[in-house]
Amino acid sequence: MEEKNKMVGMPVSRIDGILKVTGKADYSVDHPVTNVAHAMIFKSTIAAGKIRDIDTAAAEKAPGVLAVITHKNAPKLNEKGGIRGGAMLQSPVIEFYGQHIGLVVAETFEQARHAARLIKVDYEEASPRTHFEKLSKEAVTPKDKERADVKRGDVKAALANAEYKVEEVYETPMEHHHPMEPHATIAEWKGDHVTLYNSAQIVSGAQNAAASTLNLKPEQVRIVSPYLGGGFGSKGGQWANLVLTAVAAKMVNRPVQLALTRHQMFNSVGLRQRNHQKVSLAATKDGKLTALAHETTTHCAIDNEFVEPCGDCSKVMYEVPNSLISYRVVPMHIILPTYTRGPGKSTGSFALESAMDELAYKLKMDPIEFRIKNEPERDPTSGKPWSSRTTVQCLQEGAKAFGWEKRKPEPRQNQQGNYLIGYGVACGTYPAHQRPSSALVKLDRKGNEVTATVELAAADLGTGTYTILAQTAADALGLPMNRITVKIGDSDLPPAAGSVGSVGATSYANVVNDACIKITDELMAKSGKQFFTRPTAAQLMLSEKVTEFQTRADSKELEGADEYSSHSFNANFAEVRVDMYTGMVRVDRFLAVTGAGKILNPKTANSQVIGGVAWGIGMALSEESVVDPRWGNFVTRSLADYHVPSNLDIGTMEAIFIREEDKHSNRLGIKGLGEVGIVGVSAAVANAVFNATGKRIRELPITPDKLI
Amino acid sequence: MRPFKYTNAKDVPSATRLLTANPGGRFLAGGTNLLDLMKEDVERPNELIDISRLGLDQIKTIATGPHKGGLSIGGLGKNTDAANHALVRQHYPLLTQAILAGASGQIRNMATNGGNLLQRTRCPYFYEVSMPCNKREPGTGCGALEGINRLHAIFGWSDKCIAVYPSDMSVALAALDAVVRVRDAAGQERTIPFGDFHRLPGDTPEKDTNLNHGELITAIELPKNNFAEKSYYLKVRDRASYAFALVSVAAALEVSNNRIDQARIAMGGVAHKPWRALQAEQMLVGKEPTEANFRLAAEAAMADAKPLEHNKYKVELGRRSIVRALQVAMDGKRS
Ligand SMILES: Cc1cc2nc3c(=O)[nH]c(=O)nc-3n(C[C@H](O)[C@H](O)[C@H](O)COP(=O)(O)OP(=O)(O)OC[C@H]3O[C@@H](n4cnc5c(N)ncnc54)[C@H](O)[C@@H]3O)c2cc1C
Ligand code: SF4
Repeated sequence: MEEKNKMVGMPVSRIDGILKVTGKADYSVDHPVTNVAHAMIFKSTIAAGKIRDIDTAAAEKAPGVLAVITHKNAPKLNEKGGIRGGAMLQSPVIEFYGQHIGLVVAETFEQARHAARLIKVDYEEASPRTHFEKLSKEAVTPKDKERADVKRGDVKAALANAEYKVEEVYETPMEHHHPMEPHATIAEWKGDHVTLYNSAQIVSGAQNAAASTLNLKPEQVRIVSPYLGGGFGSKGGQWANLVLTAVAAKMVNRPVQLALTRHQMFNSVGLRQRNHQKVSLAATKDGKLTALAHETTTHCAIDNEFVEPCGDCSKVMYEVPNSLISYRVVPMHIILPTYTRGPGKSTGSFALESAMDELAYKLKMDPIEFRIKNEPERDPTSGKPWSSRTTVQCLQEGAKAFGWEKRKPEPRQNQQGNYLIGYGVACGTYPAHQRPSSALVKLDRKGNEVTATVELAAADLGTGTYTILAQTAADALGLPMNRITVKIGDSDLPPAAGSVGSVGATSYANVVNDACIKITDELMAKSGKQFFTRPTAAQLMLSEKVTEFQTRADSKELEGADEYSSHSFNANFAEVRVDMYTGMVRVDRFLAVTGAGKILNPKTANSQVIGGVAWGIGMALSEESVVDPRWGNFVTRSLADYHVPSNLDIGTMEAIFIREEDKHSNRLGIKGLGEVGIVGVSAAVANAVFNATGKRIRELPITPDKLI
Repeated sequence: MRPFKYTNAKDVPSATRLLTANPGGRFLAGGTNLLDLMKEDVERPNELIDISRLGLDQIKTIATGPHKGGLSIGGLGKNTDAANHALVRQHYPLLTQAILAGASGQIRNMATNGGNLLQRTRCPYFYEVSMPCNKREPGTGCGALEGINRLHAIFGWSDKCIAVYPSDMSVALAALDAVVRVRDAAGQERTIPFGDFHRLPGDTPEKDTNLNHGELITAIELPKNNFAEKSYYLKVRDRASYAFALVSVAAALEVSNNRIDQARIAMGGVAHKPWRALQAEQMLVGKEPTEANFRLAAEAAMADAKPLEHNKYKVELGRRSIVRALQVAMDGKRS
């Protein structure tokens, strides 16, 4: 097929778009299961201690109630089955405020909610460990080997002898994912097999965790997850709501649906941990970095550790002879933190890239020039060559497109009426990987018409998986896109990687491409003919009069890929307007320039990046989950208190992609865009706020009170 | 939510009679606040008396009485309609701005004028039934007093309650010296000056207003004034829309020969009721409308502020907001 007819690289609209805007795409609890009963979680109202007694008598007698399930009557589940944060209802112990301590199942949602309020709990309270500032002094090195100290050279000496240095602490608050679609499940048993309609970023992961926790074999559990209304990491691992729905359905002997309320989302599916990050940078007077230390202190659950890698960007961004990356963690009576868009990198880049801006200012050097000056030729931590590195290109192309030359190096020099205008820049990166995945390709011919079906247990977070796979298969098979059917989101299909850690597009598109190549090879072999030019699978189906043919490919990371350090890179440019009187900040313009290998679909890629930018702006200016340390509850308990950006908060957002194909990383040259869009965004905004006002805000979010 | 009885009121007399007869009942207007609170289990009425179809939604010039020439806004009219009515836009643009600064388009389309006045605090401890709160459950203590009180009051609070009243519309109404017209089951009408409508918490934070159970807000009356040319509602918040005020200021000036004849300054987000800065207003009368004088007024307005642990910023923010709102009111330039 000729180059000009290729679908990959075209800005194709989502093929599932019409289904979504007409309400025909079935999300978790939209699936037409009949005779469904409704479950409602009820929560612990203390953060630490245990349940002495729980009185469910009134709830059980309430109208419509079918069952009340607590630790007293819940079946024994496998606590180590892989459900994040544990299976719940297995003991009377309370480890955080809002912990699920029971479930009411009733005919209707309203009846279940009402009955849940009739339950009386007698607690034995312990004093909760929820005061991060106080507890952070007790933080210790994490058990996770990946978070052990990484040292190079002698940071202390380099700092002591530094001509210029910055040593500052950067604080980022807890954040919540709050996907548009809250976590929701329908469980339906047939004999000892259960089908779970449940949105999952990792379909086979959800299957395995549910099976293991419910003491079943994987083949007894089917996960159906064709569409996800977002997840941002909170649907990567599965949480107790998934298995509790299955437990409830078994106990009442009919299908049960459980949809978490927005309020319950605060204490049910993880969060982004609060980070206290100390960054120390030293440089010579001509702007060569001599030391970089990035020391993170954070919290985890009482007996479950998770620490997001805030130091990751610092490992790879700059050439520096002396470096230290460290983590300290303290358990608290707060729900287990988890992967949250750009885990570690979005928060870590805020600290690193703010510090870089501070040091550039001290050096009286343009922050772009300063970064380019410290560009590493190889991965400074692993010593491996880059599969490709686009930081400098991102910075330079971005500076041109953004009009960086209009920036005034000194703060408070650009005033328009009552507003101060400022420009900021910050870089970001996220690792690129291909993960093992399998895919089935089926070809069908009816007369002269060949159609194809591509099947794998992939996920579409709303990001466009269906579309890019149809594009990939169309090119690889020699068929128009409308002859391709993509089936994903079902654990009955061949297992695939998750839509997590920016591996989705890379892993899925490569395995589908591999399967299409394989099926073409097999059809050629089957024909027994010699070909001068390679025919397409579609042509072979016609010429050989094959009616049905299928094959499966199982792909792993490209051989030799691990000899390279593979990352997506970006440069972020922000223009802000700060009201001199009220301290309200508005991001008027934002530009993200990204190098992420081959871009399969510029339209969905653009959406992915500006979505990341919008969250990054929220992270910079308004998002924060606030704990009352006395009781461990979130005082931000709805979307009226937890401020995701509104339309009015977002000015113009633009995304530019560097033209590249990274063939060292994988056959198709893709690097993944899932996370990198948010990385560096909040630092670019904070740096712009400094340029506007002369105030360096090291504690997110930058709300008006911090600027007056 | 708890089971409740739903009654569709036929007319104003029967609505007021029904509610007076049932101490556990509530009027249902737009439902945007009441139903939310019922889902949260904060409000637990045993009966909802639907008043949303009783009319009382006209906006008209007052023909007689002490407010002759002023404007009457129906208590059951929608916020959107009040904000956009030609007479409101022309004579009381401050009110238009304040209403449009609140909530979202969808909510304002449902929300009524009477309901807006009676919306309850957004204090997170009030909303969370597992927390102590004297307003929700008298005698349980105030969760916010020693808790996270970044959004709470700096004026007029008591150690029983430090909540702020969230309405934007009411801040403009306070500045405009509005009057609330109410009617009881006996058919008696009375008018309550806006300054007396909402209460300070004192020892009875459970009572937000001086409206008696069973009384229905039939109208809000605006006296005639000459502020239309020089007024401005400034709302400072954590995001650009769909957030409650950290601090807001309704400012209005009447100026002749470069002298201030009359001034109005009301603040939102700082107290249990819209907070009029009467002393600051007085100071401005007879003065030139200069930034220096605005600063002096702002200083005076904030002099008695008593901030709490997390809301000290509100004092400085209040000062700046008053100056800024007066400036914009004066020269009409928002940027
Ligand atoms: C997410 C969200 C954001 C919001 N943001 C803002 C904001 O930024 N600024 C702002 O000002 N507001 C905001 N609001 C609040 C909104 O303005 C109020 O909910 C609305 O004005 C209430 O009007 P309603 O008619 O729906 O009242 P309802 O909920 O129907 O009633 C409220 C109370 O008033 C009583 N009542 C209603 N009408 C009468 C009457 N005529 N006589 C006597 N009693 C009556 C009811 O019994 C009830 O107790 C927000 C609301 C939401 C949900
Ligand atoms: S401030 Fe008022 S509303 Fe808030 S917890 Fe205290 S008593 Fe309740």
